[in-house]
Amino acid sequence: MQYSDLTLRYFRTASAVGELSGPGVFRGAAGSRAQGAWVQFDLAVSAGVIQAARFRAFGCPHTIAVSAWVAEHAAGGAALAALPESVAELSGRFAVPTEKRGRLLIIEDAWLAAMTGALPQSG
Amino acid sequence: MSRPVYLDYAATTPVDPRVAAAMANCLAVNGEFGNPASASHDYGEAASALIETARTQVAARVGAIPQEVVWTSGATEADNLAIFGVAHYYRDQGRHIVTARTEHRAVLDPCRELERRGWRVTYLSPDSSGVIDASQVAGALQADTVLVSVMHVNNEIGTIQDIAAIARVCAAHGGAKLHVDAAQSVGKCTVDFAAAGAALMSLSAHKVYGPKGVGALLVSRRGVQLSALQFGGGQERGLRSGTLATHQAVGMGLAFELANDAEVDAQRLSALRERLWRGLAALGGAVRNGRAEHCVPQLLNVSFEGVEGESLLADVRPHIAVSTGAACSSISGEPSYVLRALGHDERLSESSLRFGFGRFTSESDIDRAIAAVAQAVLRLRSLSGSCSTAI
Repeated sequence: MQYSDLTLRYFRTASAVGELSGPGVFRGAAGSRAQGAWVQFDLAVSAGVIQAARFRAFGCPHTIAVSAWVAEHAAGGAALAALPESVAELSGRFAVPTEKRGRLLIIEDAWLAAMTGALPQSG
Repeated sequence: MSRPVYLDYAATTPVDPRVAAAMANCLAVNGEFGNPASASHDYGEAASALIETARTQVAARVGAIPQEVVWTSGATEADNLAIFGVAHYYRDQGRHIVTARTEHRAVLDPCRELERRGWRVTYLSPDSSGVIDASQVAGALQADTVLVSVMHVNNEIGTIQDIAAIARVCAAHGGAKLHVDAAQSVGKCTVDFAAAGAALMSLSAHKVYGPKGVGALLVSRRGVQLSALQFGGGQERGLRSGTLATHQAVGMGLAFELANDAEVDAQRLSALRERLWRGLAALGGAVRNGRAEHCVPQLLNVSFEGVEGESLLADVRPHIAVSTGAACSSISGEPSYVLRALGHDERLSESSLRFGFGRFTSESDIDRAIAAVAQAVLRLRSLSGSCSTAI
């Protein structure tokens, strides 16, 4: 398997790894080892802004690299349901092979699971 | 930065410099470049003589006689010639084949192709260390079984099969010819074609410091017949037409002659293997695939709990050259079917590394490998956190 330089950089030097705790921290996870990928995000949200993000991941280098990039780029952004970049944009940025696009959907599901608690409930 | 430590000797080995020199002597204008089939001049006769010397070297190394050696392009072609050759020649006597789930794809794929053509194939499952018991073969034989194909040394975990016991079962049956894929055997353990009692045996040069692109099929003089798969020239007693590659045969012959050195090296390699295993076992959650007493000393296959295989391989790649299984499986990226056949679940099968040692492996290489794998395993487990064991 060949990886882009960006994928290898984020895979090998993944920062923003770990957990957050305290009020205003929302956790979401998706996937499983049986699926070949599992991702968890902890998002610290205050006044509609993501103050900090951490991740944990089990999976291939693409799964780890993209999760690390998302966590790194989340801080300072608005707390929105969408990832900092769309799945299609992330796929292009990290040159994710077609057969692995499902891993990016697991990352998106983990993000949405964390945001479900962070966003004001309508109705 | 230095090159990664090479620990993939089961995939291929570097050519011994003495072998390379002998091969080079067969290529250029001042060497023996003649067509070995050209009996009308000295160039051809000189090349033919080299081919026959190489044939004798190969035969001597594996307990065969020179007339039993049929040159091929490698073990894959030898496996195909054995399986399709027997199946076609004996098609009126029976259309049943017995093999094992842990065979190389060079055996499994021809068997699957024969299934598509109407043959029946029984795939035996080994025990958890990869051993096929002769009684399993006996139980699988049917009245119309024409071929049993079992490898000598498994290419992923190094398990050695008791070929002589399986040969006795086939002999008692009468109609079942035993083919042995021994591509991984020479230089790793004793190979004695005559004593083993097999009808056919596939050999490879590049696993034993010879060149890629050449191998041989041993065809016993004791009553086995084959149909040829290719035609045009009638070389190799009509079994494998085509101009023989003098330099390749010379390389294989010398490599096999020199392979005696590798057996002497077994004690050193066993020590290296156990040194590596102790280092990896200390990480915790390491599972040794295959039992040491059943395996050749040049191979160690380990699965790591809580680690994803592709990431493990990517993490260690700057430091060591290893594989997750057979080289062809590395291309497909599929979990090891060999480990799954041993009863491992898919995730554990995916997180395995195959370490292959050889003539040029040192203790410091092993220590570098332990350090690289330890760093990778601990980092990847840390990335997934304690949750990784529960998900």
